[in-house]
Amino acid sequence: MKQILILSGKGGTGKTTIASNFINISKAKIFADCDVEAPNLHLISMVKNLKERENYYGLDKSVIDQEQCLKCGICYDHCKFNAIVYKDNQYKIDLHLCEGCGVCNYVCPQKAISFVKSIDGELLLYKDEDRAFSTAKLNMGSGNSGLLVTRVKKNIHELIRKDDLVIIDGPPGIGCPVIASMSGVNLVLLVAEPSLSGISDLKRIIKTASSFHLKIAVCINKYDLNKKLTQSIIEYLNINNYSFVGLISYDKEIIDYINLGKPLLEGSKPYKEIKKVFDNTISLIS
Amino acid sequence: MKIAVLSGKGGTGKTFVSVNLAYVMANSAYVDCDVEEPNGELFFKGNYTEEPVEVEIPVIDHNSCILCGKCSDFCRFNALAIIIDKVRVFSQLCHSCGGCKLVCPVEAITEKKKNIGMIKESYYENHHIVSGVLNIKEETGVKIIDEIIEKIKTFNEDVVIDCPPGNGCSVMASIKETDYCILVAEPTIFGLHNLEMVYELTQVFDKKIGIVINKAESNDIINQFAMSKNIEILMKIPFDREMGRLNSMGEIVSKKIKYKAIFDNLAEKILRKKQ
Amino acid sequence: MIIIIPTKTSGEKSFISDNLGRANYFYVFDSNKNIGEVYINKHLDNPHGVGIKTAEFILNKHSDVLITPRVGEKSLELLKGKVKIYKSIDKIVKENIASFFNNDLEELH
Repeated sequence: MKQILILSGKGGTGKTTIASNFINISKAKIFADCDVEAPNLHLISMVKNLKERENYYGLDKSVIDQEQCLKCGICYDHCKFNAIVYKDNQYKIDLHLCEGCGVCNYVCPQKAISFVKSIDGELLLYKDEDRAFSTAKLNMGSGNSGLLVTRVKKNIHELIRKDDLVIIDGPPGIGCPVIASMSGVNLVLLVAEPSLSGISDLKRIIKTASSFHLKIAVCINKYDLNKKLTQSIIEYLNINNYSFVGLISYDKEIIDYINLGKPLLEGSKPYKEIKKVFDNTISLIS
Repeated sequence: MKIAVLSGKGGTGKTFVSVNLAYVMANSAYVDCDVEEPNGELFFKGNYTEEPVEVEIPVIDHNSCILCGKCSDFCRFNALAIIIDKVRVFSQLCHSCGGCKLVCPVEAITEKKKNIGMIKESYYENHHIVSGVLNIKEETGVKIIDEIIEKIKTFNEDVVIDCPPGNGCSVMASIKETDYCILVAEPTIFGLHNLEMVYELTQVFDKKIGIVINKAESNDIINQFAMSKNIEILMKIPFDREMGRLNSMGEIVSKKIKYKAIFDNLAEKILRKKQ
Repeated sequence: MIIIIPTKTSGEKSFISDNLGRANYFYVFDSNKNIGEVYINKHLDNPHGVGIKTAEFILNKHSDVLITPRVGEKSLELLKGKVKIYKSIDKIVKENIASFFNNDLEELH
């Protein structure tokens, strides 16, 4: 079994587009979307049969039992997140602002404050005869965590057979969710973009991935939008000995086919470019 | 007027729209709340003053600490642990709730200030530039955003707020005081899905909104969405290689006469909503 | 010598967990007594800071050796110099321990 994780640091570089084309090209049977704050892979995934849905719980939040509350306001004074509001003669906790620290529970002389489970999102597993796709969706105001990413990956773990190729669309950024998404993968493919902000994000994500001794490959998407910066990315990769696996042009056809929910035509220019990136990537792990 | 620029995900042109909109408005302020990736500065180059943003974190007095473990047990963010014979504080995980100090039976915990980032300020031509920057490795920049929002309350000029992507708590903090929200989206099924997410957020907070379509095409899916929800389309930016290239090099495209008109038009439409 | 290993299921026949802080179980092997004990990872469902709690657990068990596929930044900072860390192989716990005593495991960090 080989696992390829696709990351970019910066959003909008074409991570999901590449992931979906990799799935088409390789006929991969197992894939996952760990970009749970803005999941998109399910929109083009061919596996439509929702098999399992499970709540994802974040940290518990606090709630005040109005029957026992003496309205002393001690909780209000101690809350550092301004999550306790006094309205209509009652102290209440704004669940959007509560971080679940438990200070109010502790200071309440009446013990009128307790924890309640907080549903921060849901885990979704799609399955048909021989394919499986795992993803999750976060609720508004909730943040991604290493825990949720690990759960998304665990959902497909038992389904992976020996020769499967697993493709994972990773979260943006370089934080804890990204690190969690790296566990067990054979290679990280980074999708770079030739812009000043894209380059600085690329360097940060390379640093994170190398600290885990992971094999790294880099492709440049929309390379023709700025050939000068594309050249400087390639030079940077060469100097530092990172595998460069290809260039993909900015081509409206790629987006058109995604919007239609269809795979790119074999033999078309974008297909050939992505296929080359795919072949080069696979050759690094076989 | 305070205008927030939002998008469901990164890379849709949120900073591009914010920077150029602020630039064509007379005496405006550009405010970067995307503290994890503050890219507005790449466009508004200049000398910035820096003001640190601090949070309170615990300090352990190891002489009085009796290693009872109550602080570490209480901390829901796992920012304290007993490592061999000492309580250690992991400040990046600390949410500054003050709980450990409350539960310590021997008063061995005090608080000290810790820098998590800064607010930078400058003037670019006649525009006031404010930019929040979160230090690398810090987990949340909500405190920085809160301080920026507090600061701009007193601004008399029109303010354009470049928000973080997504619909998390940092976006909620950014749009708290705004009069109007601009949602930027690209016409792909991904773009539409992410637009629906932020749209939902603006509805929960009862904000007035309009849509800017980046890389627009005639009657594309974002257009159709806007029509179905009765949302005003403020501007359609067609794909333009030259514009993309200038922007990727950190140039303000509305400095060019060719591109200025479309942003003038956007500014006019929005400012008209003031009355 | 105490050897600690993050595992997917319980016991010496388990495979190694892909990550340390979010392992389902920890296998703690005392080579002097030739006894292995299984611990449930209490912090598995915690959204934040599991790395720190894991390091705390490993150190509290007075571990000399950790066999794992990888170590996160936070755990590493705490374990460095206190516990020897070796890269696990894609086999069950028992075989990893055997490989360790044969000096076949590669040192991580």
